[in-house]
Amino acid sequence: MTSVSDDGKRSKRFGRGGHTTGNVPLRMRFGVIIRSMWHQSVGRFALIVMACWIAVSLLSLFWTPYPLLYTDGGHAWAAPSAAHPLGTDGVGADVLSWLMAGSRTNLVIALLTMLVSAVIGLACTAVMISGRRALASAGVVVVDALIAIPTVLLALLFAVPFGTSISVIVAACGMTYGLNMARIVKPSASLAARSAYVEAARAMGGERVARVFSPISCPRLSPVLAVQLSMSAGTSILAEAGLTYLGVGVPSGVPSWGHTLTTSVRLISVYPLTVLWPGLTVTLVVTALYLLGDTIRDCADPLANVELRKLAAAVGRQTHNTGADA
Amino acid sequence: MRYLIRRLIWFAVALLGLSLLVFAALRILPGDVASVMAGTNATPARIAAIRSRMGLDRSYPQQYADWLGGLLHGNMGVSAISGRTVASQIGAHAAVTLPLIVLSLLVALGVGIPMGCQAVLAGSPRVRSVLHTIAIVGGAVPALWGGLLLIMLFGRGVGLIGILPSQGFPDAGWHAPRAALISLILPTITTGLVAGAGIMRYTRACLISMEDSDAVAMAMACGMTRRQAMLRVGLRLSAAQLVSVAGLTFAQMITGVMVVESLFNLPGLGAMLINDVGNRDLIAVQSELFLLAAFFLLLGLLVDLMHHALDPRLGEQTQHAGGEGSTHDLGIR
Repeated sequence: MTSVSDDGKRSKRFGRGGHTTGNVPLRMRFGVIIRSMWHQSVGRFALIVMACWIAVSLLSLFWTPYPLLYTDGGHAWAAPSAAHPLGTDGVGADVLSWLMAGSRTNLVIALLTMLVSAVIGLACTAVMISGRRALASAGVVVVDALIAIPTVLLALLFAVPFGTSISVIVAACGMTYGLNMARIVKPSASLAARSAYVEAARAMGGERVARVFSPISCPRLSPVLAVQLSMSAGTSILAEAGLTYLGVGVPSGVPSWGHTLTTSVRLISVYPLTVLWPGLTVTLVVTALYLLGDTIRDCADPLANVELRKLAAAVGRQTHNTGADA
Repeated sequence: MRYLIRRLIWFAVALLGLSLLVFAALRILPGDVASVMAGTNATPARIAAIRSRMGLDRSYPQQYADWLGGLLHGNMGVSAISGRTVASQIGAHAAVTLPLIVLSLLVALGVGIPMGCQAVLAGSPRVRSVLHTIAIVGGAVPALWGGLLLIMLFGRGVGLIGILPSQGFPDAGWHAPRAALISLILPTITTGLVAGAGIMRYTRACLISMEDSDAVAMAMACGMTRRQAMLRVGLRLSAAQLVSVAGLTFAQMITGVMVVESLFNLPGLGAMLINDVGNRDLIAVQSELFLLAAFFLLLGLLVDLMHHALDPRLGEQTQHAGGEGSTHDLGIR
């Protein structure tokens, strides 16, 4: 680490990068990471699926083959045809339109779950590695105890007073995955907390916990965080499907993949193959999310990614020549 | 030992906190059980009578104390809708769900661990990568969809090879063990395979992390083949982590189990809970939610204790690192 900082502001300015990539602008690092992900077949698959997901979500805001509330009463339970590529459901609504519109709901759920689980997970980690031993060991034991509560029980508990809503799903998923994340991130975080540069930063003033999560040491945690967050996002989509089917997920009338899957369950005796599409969509996207985390971990690691090291070296030379380095 | 005591104390605290959370969440509930029970044309007097019979007219702390006292004596109250005691209701439904969960876990471990090992140890790289793909894609299949596909393949009446029943549980219950067991086959396979993919991924990650370990190198130096060393030494050393993962899988499997119960029309705990939540059956939901959550807390406790028993290193670590060792530093790969 080149720039051990003496105050918070400077560490923000220079400390964005990793151990060896400290002074490379984030934008350039991002470009290199995406490019090296693209060069792997797995990473390319994940990136393409993500791009399609986002594109369809955006498109569905402006255009779907049929308006969501349009129902074709004469053609309820219709088989796939040119007019309705995936058929229609029990009230004659177009399944494809609902599937497309569902992708934006699931995108929102996945993003919010990532956010909530990151906040809960990092807060728990911070407690577990804090300097006060009583607090830390209490944190460990509380996380160990609560981690066993299944998502669906939490969702049921929240759904009783608050009714069904997206926030119930996000709260239930965010809490379980957050605790999970805390448990998995904690070893890396406590290693980081003991590392020399955090000690140095601490000696110059400042809380240890704050230093661990400061931009200096985040590169240490970011690989495991990337994997965990992408798992959270993927699992939240699976949970949404399950909870919606059980009646404690998204409210009826809101399009989501779980909703389409649930509708298609009733369709099974009429046109069994229709069941394939929503399920395939979910499986595809969740697989891509799992793989995305893995490839980000591999590509964002300066030790494993040669391109990233080359970039760091190039930028280092440049800044050295112009004398702009800290 | 110190870990055990601390863990037990926190278990009790967590139980108490949980009971408060359940109690509080259910009191914010809009809707009144008494008026639901009394029916639509009830007089206010009748509603008031029901309220006082159920103890709903007392203050919240009083109600909480009553409920907790009842729980400690094993009295979980009487369902407002069905009129049966909550304990008997839970018992009847658990007779379906518990066998389903245990069988699924057996399938998950039986499929996940050998295939996870094979994903590391198989000779040809192609087999290894195919197995890895199966593990990832398998974990991405929603239980609902997996169950549907199995019904479409094997379900009697609808499936391509319609040989297995896909709806309901025999009325005679476990008095007709054969029929009961057969009706659980498809649900078990569904949850077992979905959870098995997760176990497979963890087994693979554990074994890969063991590949370069000194222990495995030592075993190979003593004359074992790589395969033997990995299976006898590497797997044994990963056992503690695998137990934790299996415990967590077990807890998360319950979502899948509830979905599958509903899909296959089994009268299990999930069906009961969803039904009672829908009916706003306050007394029943309160005890059921608490009991289920307590069950999972207990499970977590047992898993952690087992983890400690299986990994002697943790005992030493906790002595001087303050519970450092109770976490499972297993990145998902």
